[in-house]
Amino acid sequence: MGKGQYLLKRLLYIVFVFFIISVLMFVIYKMMPGDPVEMMLGDSKTSMKPEAYQALYNQTAEMLNLDKPLPVQYVTWMGNMLTGNFGYSIQYKKPVSQIIAAPMKNTVMLNMLTMVVVFSIAIPLGIVTAVRKNGIFDKSVQVLTIVGYSIPSFIISLLMIFVFAVKIPIFPISGVKTAGLNATGIQAALDVAWHMALPVLVMSVSGIGGITRYVRAAMIDVLRMDYIKTARAKGLREKVVIYVHAFRNALIPIVTITTWWIIGLFGGSVVIESVFLWPGLGKMLIDGLMQRDFSLVLTIQMFYVILSLVGNVLMDIAYTLVDPRVRLEN
Amino acid sequence: MAKNKKERARRSTASVATQRMLIGGLPQEEKEDLQQSPMQMVAKSFFKDKIAVTGMVCFLFIFICCIVLPFFFPIDKYYQDVTQANVAPGFSMLSVPKALQGNAEMLSVGSTFSVGIDKEGNVYEWGTFPTAKLKNIPSSSETGKLTQISAGLDHVLAVNEKGQVFTWGNDRMGLASVPMELRTGGEKIKQILAGYQISLALTEDGTMYNWGSDYLLNIMYPEGVQGNIEKFAAATNIVMVLTKDGKVVPLTNKSSAYTTIPEEIQGKVVDLALTDESAAALTEDGKVYTWGNNIKNTLTVPEEIQGQVASIAGGRYHFSVILKDGSIVSWGDDTHGQASAPNLGSDKAVQLDAGYYATYAITEKGTVKAWGLKGYLMGTDAFGRDVFRRLLIGGRMTMTVGAIAVIISTVIGITIGGISGYKGGKIDNLLMRLAEVVSSIPFLPFCIILSSILGNSITELQRIMLIMCILGLLSWPGIARLVRGSVLAEREQEFVTAAKALGVKEFGIIFRHILPNIITVIIVNATLDFATCMLTESSLSFIGFGVSEPNATWGNMLTGAQNGQVIENYWWRWVFPALVLGICTISINCIGDGLREAIDPKSKER
Repeated sequence: MGKGQYLLKRLLYIVFVFFIISVLMFVIYKMMPGDPVEMMLGDSKTSMKPEAYQALYNQTAEMLNLDKPLPVQYVTWMGNMLTGNFGYSIQYKKPVSQIIAAPMKNTVMLNMLTMVVVFSIAIPLGIVTAVRKNGIFDKSVQVLTIVGYSIPSFIISLLMIFVFAVKIPIFPISGVKTAGLNATGIQAALDVAWHMALPVLVMSVSGIGGITRYVRAAMIDVLRMDYIKTARAKGLREKVVIYVHAFRNALIPIVTITTWWIIGLFGGSVVIESVFLWPGLGKMLIDGLMQRDFSLVLTIQMFYVILSLVGNVLMDIAYTLVDPRVRLEN
Repeated sequence: MAKNKKERARRSTASVATQRMLIGGLPQEEKEDLQQSPMQMVAKSFFKDKIAVTGMVCFLFIFICCIVLPFFFPIDKYYQDVTQANVAPGFSMLSVPKALQGNAEMLSVGSTFSVGIDKEGNVYEWGTFPTAKLKNIPSSSETGKLTQISAGLDHVLAVNEKGQVFTWGNDRMGLASVPMELRTGGEKIKQILAGYQISLALTEDGTMYNWGSDYLLNIMYPEGVQGNIEKFAAATNIVMVLTKDGKVVPLTNKSSAYTTIPEEIQGKVVDLALTDESAAALTEDGKVYTWGNNIKNTLTVPEEIQGQVASIAGGRYHFSVILKDGSIVSWGDDTHGQASAPNLGSDKAVQLDAGYYATYAITEKGTVKAWGLKGYLMGTDAFGRDVFRRLLIGGRMTMTVGAIAVIISTVIGITIGGISGYKGGKIDNLLMRLAEVVSSIPFLPFCIILSSILGNSITELQRIMLIMCILGLLSWPGIARLVRGSVLAEREQEFVTAAKALGVKEFGIIFRHILPNIITVIIVNATLDFATCMLTESSLSFIGFGVSEPNATWGNMLTGAQNGQVIENYWWRWVFPALVLGICTISINCIGDGLREAIDPKSKER
C-alpha cells in the first residue's frame, strides 16, 4: 500500500467523522432555543401587519426548508455551512461571515505564537533532560514541568497578572492594542506583541510542561534501543546519534501528542481569551452564548471542529513523513 | 538485595505504618520478598517514591479537610452580607486592648472593627478596618473628654461631656455634616448611634437628630413622637423608638414584619432592641416580647429567662440580655458564637453592647467580656461570605464532580475498550471509530455550548449532574484505547484459553478474568483523569459555564478575581482557592506518576 493510498483512506475516514460530528452539531442547532425564522426577520414582526408578516414568515421558512423533513433540513443547513452562509448574528446585526474574520485572525495569531514558543523550548529541553536523565538538571525540570501542567491556566494567568501587571507593571492585562494608538508598520506590530506577551506566556507554561515530559519519555524509550548502541559503536558523534538517529525515531509519539495538544490549545484559549479580554474566537464564543447569539456560536464551533479534523489530516501526513512503516501497514 | 535492606531501614516508621495499614502487611518483612503479590510489590515501590508519598499526604489532607470540616464550619450557601464584604484575614476583631480592661467606660461593635473609650475618655480602636479614614481619630485636645461612642459600618460617632458630637471614618453620603446644634454642644446627649451609612443622636429632652444616607433608611417621625423619645434602636432598614410613656413606635410609614408590634405591651416597654429581621421589647415585669421574621431563631427567647431580664441589646441576627442577677444570656444565630454567652461566675454585667456579629459586656469590676465573631481565617469575598468555609464546601463540590465524571468515563471506557479488544473485527473497528469521533470533538468549547444550551432551564442540582455527565461522556476514549490495548495483549494468554475451555461466558472472561490483570493500568489512568476532570470543571466554572452560584467550587470562587484591583487589594480572595486547587492537582498528578512508575517496571530505568 503506497503513501497516497494510505492518505486517501484516512481522508475518506475523516470525511466520515466530519459527517458524524456535523449531525451532532445539527442536533445542537435544532435544540437551540428561539425560532430561527423570527431571528432572521428581526424587527419586522412589530412593524408589519400580522397577515403580511405571516406570509413573509412562511416564505422564509420555506426558503430555509424548515417545513421539510429533518434529513432535508440537515442537507440544507450543511450546504449553507459549507458555502459560507453561516446565518445572521443578532448581536452585531450582520451576517456571521462578515464578523468572524478579525477574531479568527487574533486567535490564530495568539495560538501560532504560543506554538512557536512552546516547541522552541520544550523539544530541546526534552532532549537534553532525556540525555542527562536523573541528573540534577533533569530532576528539577521534572518537578517544574509537573507543576506547569498541573496548575490550571487561569491560575497561572492570575499569578502572571499579579507579577507582571500589578507588582512590576510592564505588560498590559487586556486588549489587543493600545487604545487611540495610530501606529503603522513595525510600531503597530510591536504594540500587538506587547499585548500578546502575557497570554502567550500563560499558554506556553502549561504547554511546555506537558510537551517536555512527552519528548523526554519518547527519547528515553528510543535511547534504550539496540540501534542506538550500534550507532554509538560504529563511532558516530554523540550529536549525530541523538539528533539524527534517536530524535527522528522519537518523533512518532511526539507527533501524536502535539497534534492533540494543538487542538486542545485552540479550545483552551477560550479561558485565556476571556481572562485577558483578547478579542478572539474564544471570547466571541462566550459573548455569543451570553447574548444568545446562536448562529455565531455554531459557526465558531464549526471552526473548532474543522480545525480538529485538519489537525488529524496533518497528523496522518506527518506520520507518513516521519515513519516509513506507515505506508506498508494496513 | 543488600541495598534494598538499607533503603528499607532508612524509611521512616510513619511510612511503614501507613503501608501496613493500607496493604495489611505484618512484620514479616525479611522473607516476604519472594511471596509478595503484584499489588504488594506495587504498593511497596510506590511508598519508596518520596514525591508520590508527599503528594498522597497533601491530597489526603485536603480531601479529609473538605469532607470533615464543613460539619464544624457550616455555611448557609444563600447567605450574603455586604457589611462583611472584602474583609482581610485575621482574628483581631474581639481583641480588646489591655488598657481598656478594668477601665472601660463604653464599647461599641462596628461592622468588622470595634471602638471603645476608657474612663478618662481616651479612644481605642481594634479589628479589621474597612477604610483607612477610621484611623483619623480626633486628638483629645480637640474633643475633650468623650463620654459615649458608637461604631457603624465604616464610621464612628462620639460625644463629649459638653454634648458636642464628633464623627470620623467614612465622610461621604452626608455623614460628615453633623447638625449645627450638635456640633456646638450645650444640649445633653442621651444616646448616639452610628448605623449603616447613617448617624442618629437623641437629646435628653427627647428630640432625635438623624443625618447621613437615606437610601436604605427613610426616617419619618409620626405626630407627637419628636420630643417625646426615651430611647431608640436601629437596624439596617428601620429605626424604632421607645417613647417616654413606654410605647414602641416605628419611624416609618411602610408596614413590614417590624411594624406588627404586639398590642398588649404598648405602654409597658422599658427597653428595645432590633436585629436585621426581628425586634424585641422588654416590659416592666422583666419579660421579653419578640416579633418579626423568625430567621436564625431570633424570635425563640429562652423560656427560663422570662421575668428576670434587666436590659436587652441586639446584633445582626442575635439578641443579648443582662438578667437581674447580673448574668448574661444570648440567643439567635450562633454561626460565629454570638449566641454563646460566657459564664461570668461571681462577676456581674452592668453594661451590654451588641452589634453585627458580636457582643461586649462590661462587668462591675470593669473587665470586658467579648463573644461572637473574632474574624475570618481567610477573609471574605465581595458578598461578605467566609472564604474559608466556601473553600471547604467548594472543595467537596470540585472533588465530587471530578470523581463522578471519572467514574462515568472509566466505566464507559472499560466497557467499550473491553468489548472492542476482546471481540476484535468489525465491532472493534466500529467502536474505535466512535472513540475517534468523540476525541475529535473540541472538548472545552463543546462543554461550554452543551452546558449553556442544556443548562438554562434546570435546577442547580441538575446542572451539577449535567456537568458531571458532560465531562464523563466526553473523556472516555483515552481509557477505552488503553483497555483495548491491554485486552488485546492479555487475550492470547493461556489462562484465557483455559477459561474458554471451561465454558466461561465471554463477558465473564473479559470482566472477571482479564480485567483484574489490567486493573492497575486503569487505576493509574483514572487518577490522572481525575486531575484533568477537576481542572476542566474549575475552568468551566471559572468562565461561568460550570457549577454556578450560590454553589461554591474552587473554579467559581476565582471568577471575577482576574481584575487587577482585586488581585492587588483583595489578595485573599484569589490566593487561597488558587493555592488549594494548585496543590490538589499537582498532588494527584504526582500520585498518578508514582503509581505508573510503580506498576511499570520498564519505567524505573527512566
